Amino acid sequence: MEPLKPQRKRQMLEASPAATPQEIAEYEKLLAERFTVDPDLPRSPESLELRQRKTDRLKELRRKLFPEAEAERHEEGQTR
Amino acid sequence: MTPSNPVVTVINPGDTTKPDPFTICIISNPALEVPWKTGQFVVDPITSNKSAFDAAAQYICDVLFGRLANQREQLLADPTIGPKIRVVSLFVTGLRAQDANSLVAQDTDSNLLIARRTVFRPLLNRYGLDADVAYGVSASPTHTRASAWYTSDDDARGGVAFTLDGVSLSHRYYCLIPGTVAIHATASSMTALHEFGHALSSYSNGMVVDLYVDSSSAVNCKAGRPIPPQFAIYDTTPNLSDPVRDSIGYPSGWTSYHCELIDPGFPALMDDYWLAPDHIPEHSQHDKITRRFLTDRVRAKIGR
Repeated sequence: MEPLKPQRKRQMLEASPAATPQEIAEYEKLLAERFTVDPDLPRSPESLELRQRKTDRLKELRRKLFPEAEAERHEEGQTR
Repeated sequence: MTPSNPVVTVINPGDTTKPDPFTICIISNPALEVPWKTGQFVVDPITSNKSAFDAAAQYICDVLFGRLANQREQLLADPTIGPKIRVVSLFVTGLRAQDANSLVAQDTDSNLLIARRTVFRPLLNRYGLDADVAYGVSASPTHTRASAWYTSDDDARGGVAFTLDGVSLSHRYYCLIPGTVAIHATASSMTALHEFGHALSSYSNGMVVDLYVDSSSAVNCKAGRPIPPQFAIYDTTPNLSDPVRDSIGYPSGWTSYHCELIDPGFPALMDDYWLAPDHIPEHSQHDKITRRFLTDRVRAKIGR
């Protein structure tokens, strides 16, 4: 996964003043982790549950880090 | 539907004495899945921009073979390796926006492009092609960040044995699913080579992971504190740890640590190469164990 450019990280923090560099780091870690498990192999119920928890956290962080995109997404959902 | 207008370009013929030389394919993505895992597809804008695709293919070849200005990582430029690698590009237009023609998806939770890894081989086979590592090039209007899946090796077939900290592994000759990269037509600098590091590595015989996050153990990453002097023993070769993570430093909450660098003045290529202290990412090189692992893996495949 391509690393984020430093200016992009700065933009994210400016666009979302409530966000912290630690949250960007956690978001990046969760994104990168998705690629470390072969998606075409069967998974145990435990690993699926863990995956779901991580996905939920990833979405939570996305909402915090990209509030404008989230607002657009919400708007699109309402106009459908 | 009959594939239409394919333009197959052999950029590097590779080892023509082999029936199936180690091959890297660069393909224009016919259809984007928007978003990932939804089954909804649109035609990728790259299909109507051959000059952008050609420029991207040229860039990917240049960085793979160490030809960017200031580039120091020369893994595949080795005269005993580079000429044996076949590189082919495929530009195709006119395919329907549907599952079988979609190599790249747009992520829901980021601006990552994501390779639809199981589609690459069947699509390539339709044009008489196959690949060990494949790049899907997109011109998505919204998603520009590259990502890669590791190779799924064919562990039922042969390879070159090696050990990592005493564990027996193999640089497999063949794959079940090639290493796949989704990359934007505007990608630059070390990105295509960074992703190649992931894609060439293996789910079952050693992953080369991102070093700019606190990753779990892999070929190029370990976890624990304090950081021990020795990182790992690859075959009989001991490799030292990088106690300081070059000029970047390990964040205080991290438990992961990395292998000794070839040039300790610059971030490893699998780390955040954008943070090169002289602002020249092309100065980044692989760390010692990653360089050795990837070199041996390519040598195994070109020798099959």
